[in-house]
Amino acid sequence: MADNKIETGFSSDAKKDPRRVVFVTKKTSAKVLGDRGPQLMTYPHLLLREAIAFEILVIAMVVIALFWDAPLEQLANPLLTPNPAKAPWYFLGLQELLHFFPPFVAGILIPTLVVIALVVIPYFNINVEGEPLWSKHPSRNLRTVLISMVLLLAFLAFFDAWTIILPTAIIASILIFSYTAREKSGSWQATLGAKPLSWWIMTWFIAVSICLTVVGTFFRGPGWSWVWPWRTHVG
Amino acid sequence: MSNANDATFDQTKSGAGNDVSRRDFLNQITVGALGIAGLGSVAVTYQYFAPNVLFEPATQFRAGTPDLYPVHSVTFLQDQQVYIVRMPEGFYAVSAVCTHLGCVTQWKSEAEMIACPCHGSKFKADGTKIEGPAPRPLPHFALSLTADGELLVDKLQSVKNSQALKV
Amino acid sequence: MATNVSLLLETLRESKVWKSVFRRGPANSNRTRSMAVFGNLFLHWMPVKVREKSLHVRASYYLGSISFLLFLILFVTGILLMFYYHPAAPNAYRDMKDLQFVVSNGVFLRNLHRLAAHLMVFMVFAHMFHVFYRGGYKPPHEFNWVIGVVLLLVTLFLSYTGYLLPWDQLAFWAVTVGTNIISAMPVIGDKIRFLLLGGHIVGENALLRFYVMHVLILPLVALVLIGIHFWRVQKDGGLTVKSKDSDGR
Repeated sequence: MADNKIETGFSSDAKKDPRRVVFVTKKTSAKVLGDRGPQLMTYPHLLLREAIAFEILVIAMVVIALFWDAPLEQLANPLLTPNPAKAPWYFLGLQELLHFFPPFVAGILIPTLVVIALVVIPYFNINVEGEPLWSKHPSRNLRTVLISMVLLLAFLAFFDAWTIILPTAIIASILIFSYTAREKSGSWQATLGAKPLSWWIMTWFIAVSICLTVVGTFFRGPGWSWVWPWRTHVG
Repeated sequence: MSNANDATFDQTKSGAGNDVSRRDFLNQITVGALGIAGLGSVAVTYQYFAPNVLFEPATQFRAGTPDLYPVHSVTFLQDQQVYIVRMPEGFYAVSAVCTHLGCVTQWKSEAEMIACPCHGSKFKADGTKIEGPAPRPLPHFALSLTADGELLVDKLQSVKNSQALKV
Repeated sequence: MATNVSLLLETLRESKVWKSVFRRGPANSNRTRSMAVFGNLFLHWMPVKVREKSLHVRASYYLGSISFLLFLILFVTGILLMFYYHPAAPNAYRDMKDLQFVVSNGVFLRNLHRLAAHLMVFMVFAHMFHVFYRGGYKPPHEFNWVIGVVLLLVTLFLSYTGYLLPWDQLAFWAVTVGTNIISAMPVIGDKIRFLLLGGHIVGENALLRFYVMHVLILPLVALVLIGIHFWRVQKDGGLTVKSKDSDGR
């Protein structure tokens, strides 16, 4: 099987056996794809790495599963609502949002808009090269950003949505800092100043989501009231 | 140092000798560890699949006091699928499940025999086969008396067909 | 001893029976290594070659792979758990107690299943954010990103339907709150809630429907989408590697 010689019928002599390599139509230019870099065989290189990742994952999970038990509360009782009645952790951010906004806004409108925004990201052809926010028209961009930030914070303050105001304010300050530090040459300041707007929006979104989820998990008690997690014995 | 390594590497190429190269050793350790993990997983899964508690009908039951059963009587307990047979020599607990293919038999008092509706096997009251495709006589279950004088049948324990409970 | 074992293995591999099953022989040349991936039913959705930079941990943190591996773990542990679970109202809770205290290794399997579920939701989010920051959604990968978003929703819905199955207070009220939010949708909200629950209340019908969704429909949808997701990565040329990457980042 190793000695399988494949006969193709072509000889290597291009004059004797000319063969078409590329067909360039009139109005196109030849495009050269960049070198794809060094490549390795999937087997063994990728597959063995995945196998190792799997084993590490399984070992870690088995150890955890041996020591920490999944929760099981009392039998479902439609007549008795536990206080607080919390959703699974990935929905707690949403539940925290529900505390500030009416159910339609927090439960339907915002999640739908988030999903639509996520889906649309690759089709949003603005700034495909990922140009830094402050590279062109920095002062005009700064003005736009500041105005939108102030409007957003005012809107949130109207609803007393402190859980969202906090991460927004933090990201806003970092954003403004990146504007002032955009000329600096220190490594992390330079990278921060070079981030495009899409990066800032996504980072803001992640910061808000994390803040909402953390608050919903640890800082909300009976009646969705504010509790300090170290004052209660429930995590 | 390098000489020793060369030597082991050359030896494993030919597969001869007792020395194992580092690569082969690690390979063997890995395969061995994975093998143990695999066997362990199989064992754990097998243990998981064999239930420890069964929610099935109880296999031991009480059949009332002996004086409920006249001598020479065959009483069919339908929900337990057992005949309580009282003969002059004592009590038998005869299984009502036909030994052919598992149908529930019937006691025909006018013909004084146990008959299976499925393929026509016929047995005497003590389970001995009269005719039919059944390969074995009907088995007898262990009978005992409880402390308060009731008959106790244990369907998990079979006894010889000649053994009767004397009351 | 070791040489005996390896001789035994070699004779095994030379046997007709073995060769009828594993037809290509050992993968020790680049051609046979290519065929090992290309000609394999379970692996052919991966490319035959990968760019070396994409193998570094910092290129992807293997988040996508880990998400898929967690899905496999959930699949297997889920099927095992199905052997002891009745999706009916009082039995479901009793079966959970059964698994916890009576069935051998039941508590371990349940812990593993729940842990993998929470981890998978987390990893899928992390994978999405990481792909965003690396620009892995840019053309020609746009559609794969959309498939990924749909997979995220499928993962969330899988986790949510599974959440009801223990039929304890935590499950019951989490689902009550969630389905009440759905009814806030204008016009169709109540109808959707009615269909989802199979009624007006979170009861027997809801449990059965969520069970079927969790165990059959959503895993099938997930598998198909995962297949497309992997296939797209392969067809679009592999993982995104920036040209200036030296360490894969």
